[in-house]
Amino acid sequence: MTYDSCALQNELPFLEIDHVDRIFPTKEGDYIAVEDVDLKVNKGEFVTLIGHSGCGKSTLLNIIAGLDRATNGGIILEGKEVKSPGPDRMMVFQNHSLLPWLTVKQNIALAVNRVFKHKSKKERNQIVEEHIDLVSLRPAADKFPREISGGMKQRVGIARALSIRPKLLLLDEPFGALDALTRGRLQEQLMKICEDHALSVVMITHDVDEALLLSDRIVMLTNGPSAHIGQILDVDLPRPRHRMEIVNNPSYYRMRGELIEFLNRQKKDKVQKAKRNVEAVVSRGKIEKVNLNIGFIPLTDCAPLVIAQEKGLFAKYGLEVTLSREKSWGAIADGVREGRLDAAQMVTGMPLAITLGMEKKEPVAIVTSLTLSRNGNAITIAKSVWDAGVRDLVSLKTYIQAQDHRPTFGMVHPASMHNLLLRHWLANAGIDSQTEVDVVVIPPAQMVSNLISSNIIGFSVGEPWNSRSVHEGLGYIIATDLDIWNGHPEKVLGVRADWAKEYPNTHLALTKALLEACAYCQPEQNREEILGIICQPAYLNAQSIYVRCGFNSPYRKGSGENLYLKDFNIFLGDNSPNRSEHLWVMAQMARWNLIPFPSNYDQILDRMLDPKTYIRASEDLNLPVAPVSLAPIVLADGEIFDPSAPMAGLPNSTEIREFVGDRQLV
Amino acid sequence: MTSNNLLKQSSPNVVFEWLQGQFKFIVPPVLALGSLLFIWQLLCGGETPPLPPPTKVVTEAWKFIVDPFFDNGGTDKGLGRHIFESLKRVGIGYSGSVVIGISLGILIGTNVLMYRAFDPIFQVLRTVPPLAWLPISSAVFESFKESEVLRMLGTDAVELSAVFVIFITSVWPVLMNTAVGVQQVPQDYRNVAKVLRLSRFEYFTKILVPSAAPYIFTGLRIAIGLSWLAIVAAEMLKGGVGIGFFIWDSYNSGKYSEMIVALFYVGIVGLLLDKVVFYISKFLVQTDS
Amino acid sequence: MQIVASNTTNSSAQDLSDKRNENPFLVIDNVSKVYPTRQGSFTVLENINLTVYEGEFVCVIGHSGCGKSTLLNMVAGFNKPTTGEIRLQNKLITKPGPDRMVVFQNYSLLPWLTAFDNVMLAVKNVYPQNSKAQNREIVKEHLEMVGLTAGANKKPNQLSGGMRQRVSIARALAIRPQVLILDEPFGALDILTREELQEELLKIWQEHQVTVLMITHDIDEAVLLSDRIVMMTNGPKATIGEILEVPFPRPRDRALIAEDPRYYGLRNQALDFLFNRFALSDDAY
Repeated sequence: MTYDSCALQNELPFLEIDHVDRIFPTKEGDYIAVEDVDLKVNKGEFVTLIGHSGCGKSTLLNIIAGLDRATNGGIILEGKEVKSPGPDRMMVFQNHSLLPWLTVKQNIALAVNRVFKHKSKKERNQIVEEHIDLVSLRPAADKFPREISGGMKQRVGIARALSIRPKLLLLDEPFGALDALTRGRLQEQLMKICEDHALSVVMITHDVDEALLLSDRIVMLTNGPSAHIGQILDVDLPRPRHRMEIVNNPSYYRMRGELIEFLNRQKKDKVQKAKRNVEAVVSRGKIEKVNLNIGFIPLTDCAPLVIAQEKGLFAKYGLEVTLSREKSWGAIADGVREGRLDAAQMVTGMPLAITLGMEKKEPVAIVTSLTLSRNGNAITIAKSVWDAGVRDLVSLKTYIQAQDHRPTFGMVHPASMHNLLLRHWLANAGIDSQTEVDVVVIPPAQMVSNLISSNIIGFSVGEPWNSRSVHEGLGYIIATDLDIWNGHPEKVLGVRADWAKEYPNTHLALTKALLEACAYCQPEQNREEILGIICQPAYLNAQSIYVRCGFNSPYRKGSGENLYLKDFNIFLGDNSPNRSEHLWVMAQMARWNLIPFPSNYDQILDRMLDPKTYIRASEDLNLPVAPVSLAPIVLADGEIFDPSAPMAGLPNSTEIREFVGDRQLV
Repeated sequence: MTSNNLLKQSSPNVVFEWLQGQFKFIVPPVLALGSLLFIWQLLCGGETPPLPPPTKVVTEAWKFIVDPFFDNGGTDKGLGRHIFESLKRVGIGYSGSVVIGISLGILIGTNVLMYRAFDPIFQVLRTVPPLAWLPISSAVFESFKESEVLRMLGTDAVELSAVFVIFITSVWPVLMNTAVGVQQVPQDYRNVAKVLRLSRFEYFTKILVPSAAPYIFTGLRIAIGLSWLAIVAAEMLKGGVGIGFFIWDSYNSGKYSEMIVALFYVGIVGLLLDKVVFYISKFLVQTDS
Repeated sequence: MQIVASNTTNSSAQDLSDKRNENPFLVIDNVSKVYPTRQGSFTVLENINLTVYEGEFVCVIGHSGCGKSTLLNMVAGFNKPTTGEIRLQNKLITKPGPDRMVVFQNYSLLPWLTAFDNVMLAVKNVYPQNSKAQNREIVKEHLEMVGLTAGANKKPNQLSGGMRQRVSIARALAIRPQVLILDEPFGALDILTREELQEELLKIWQEHQVTVLMITHDIDEAVLLSDRIVMMTNGPKATIGEILEVPFPRPRDRALIAEDPRYYGLRNQALDFLFNRFALSDDAY
């Protein structure tokens, strides 16, 4: 009986914020501060709520503390509903809220005496003393709050909170009132205490570095009114953490970028809301939606989008396009998923990744009607690795095995060809990319800086980043994707399936404009002009010397070997959404455990690929339509992929199951 | 040179150095006082001045200046004794207003309904000047003139009405400030109490009173000033022993010099009372900054 | 950790070296500041040497108590160095003057004057020879520059923190100082307003080409705004520990800077200085 209830309790989450709404009645009607916040916190977990001021963070924390009640939903701590405040959920307030008439010691003692009434005076005293030492405040123990600095006051607040051994520690912007540098020092101390005592913590902050340093998970809240959870970031930085170590972790600035990006988007939303400039759908003639927001990443192969814009091709087909320069592929995926972007340039595997709900996200069906470019990637290794004698895969393997820790490679998105080709390439030399090296996601723009600070030994990325590191003497190109799979699909156009269904003529116009742009980008004689356009600050913001290589000039690998790779950037050829190729991608994603291989893959590809729109666009433009071929794909290493038996090459351990997550498929 | 050495070397000169440090605080007021006395002397130097000049004040009222505690029976007493009597009345009246003012203040400060009910009434009453209370209190206490209770307390109606005037004058600032102080307990402190689940009694002693203390002491300081103002008024009309009576008596008997000396005494005692309350509050009250 | 050693030539690096060839504008020459206390003398700053060139944007960063404000007060002229001297265009600084205008964290506006009148007060004092209309024009122009035309007739307590700081900046710039001194101007503002004002300050600086000396606690703010970041060691006896050159081209854009590979190296170097090499000890914060 007892055993049973124990087992049951273990299954319950430690803290459950169960669909909480908080509505304040006002004279102008109800004000919804927080809407439908649902979150589970595990024991020993450090969760941070981040958002701009007025996003209802504090309201939420007060509800957890029991100082406020949810209008709908509730808080459950260890199986019991929270209805009133209590010492099991101790709070540290932003303005420390020490009682000014009590000394540091007395302030802590007040809490200890109250909560540990049953303990002897000696024991209680001992607890107080222990916690004064915990926050290194021995010299200030008998001082009054006004006699100590802001940082010290906040330490007393923390000591007071910890002294009563709360089950859950609640921190309401604990360091908000302190300057940035003092804050940093306190964060380190708090982090150490939390790690030493395995505390469960919910903290509010608007400081992204603070959140990353301390948390296991960061919950990003949208702006109020009706604030809700916008995104959740798992911070998988190893513990114990040290500030200088984590900023050199290759994932750090990617995660930081994601947080900043989210907060900036909220900021823009706020401004837009203020201007009452919410974008309405504008239709004109046959085009159901004229005004489009299209995402791109500043890389050389964004050329078709830029050219379609600059050469007026979007306008030619009746579209008014805003090109949105995105920071990372993750931002592109989220942008399309959430409807912020109408369409986007995507890495080849992204339509599949979003459709299948990779990384435990809600599946959203995506449609692709166009392959925008082929080739254009390379694998770069750091100068130090080159200097250690690494010239090819074999010597790379020797190098990797000689390291005392797993070396790290950077790539841009798990579903990108960069990732899949890198892993495939490593596997050719018998290097297991899942056990022998770490392959981490880093936004393209951060690759070079990570290479500089030796956080990674190499990366797989599109141009201009390979050429830039070669040019600056930081790295060497050890392989191009032509050495792995010459002619692989690199970027595709992606839109949401429901969007494509609602705006078929817009989709066709968009496909046409981009296909025509691809045709413009292909001929050699246009490349110099295109180079000048894409290097502008609004697009790549790069010096043309980096972008030129491979695009219309010899490709420099850094070894003195200059290649003229005619096919380094292919924009026109087979632009169809190619079934075999996407199937290869799907198989590879399963191979690297990104997704289980869907047994109903045919059905999924039927929905995801839209050759009809491609064919209509090609015919309208009088361009040759690429024939549908199911011939096997032959990679540079001679490996053959047979689309009629996609599972053949997969390891036996691969999980295969029917995909049912997509409501539109069922 | 270490700081220890520094201290040792300078120790014989410590007193002198301290005096030197205080010099700039002593000289200016002394000079100002000197020049005021000089102007007074000039203005009142004529044949029949409206007031005696400083020199005459000193000579005429010499016995009051040098010996504040003589007692020749009746009302012919040293100024110290008059002041002592007045202080006794103030002590009783002021204590009353402290006790009743703080308790009532907390009561209406913590209870919104009470606050709404009484605040307007108190706002009116507090503006009534001390002298206006005097006839009412006289009338009331006069009717108890023959009361046994008064006799048992060893007091009389005249005495009581004077004390009452002091009380009623000084109770308002204590009451109003306490009420406001209690209402202004910061939400943070309330939250601390809630999270720790402090009992009502603990909340009262550990949070409410200390937090309201700065307000209460502001009220107490205003009140002590007001009660000292009131005593002079009350005694002037009542007679007997007391500094207020002494001033009134001196005026009636044309002893202007004595009156002027008494005035100085009143001022200095008022200042001291204020300082006493100030230092008590400084000792007891801990604020945030 | 490796330090970014960029061998690329870009426009701003060249600009900077051009500036070096000019005559020094503001010179802090071997300055130290000693306060006498009961326990003997207390050295706040020691051996401060810094040369700021005309049109340069310099940020001073360091932990609280490192004497940044003391240094700034000496440049402003509120305070005199114990030894050494500070010269602006070869003239010794001895007292405050309108050639070095200070913007404080707490805005220091007169609460009984409107935004317009607050700026006007400064302008009138510096340009007594101007006609009323001329001065009105100057005030209007500068309020417009900080985007405050609408709030010109409001009193400070009717304005938000960010707005008040705008007025304060307008007041400082309206009198055309040779050096603009900013003492943690955005420290009290929320992050959105702070970023907005940083961008505005950047724009104004670009247009006015005024020389700026700014104190901050915020590394990102310093990286975004300045040409050089002066990092102070901890007090007592604080001095300049290291100077970081910020090589990013101007005009700058927050998002583009974050894309520059040098950004992260620079940021990490500052973090290393402030949290590793010169971290605060336990009893100092």
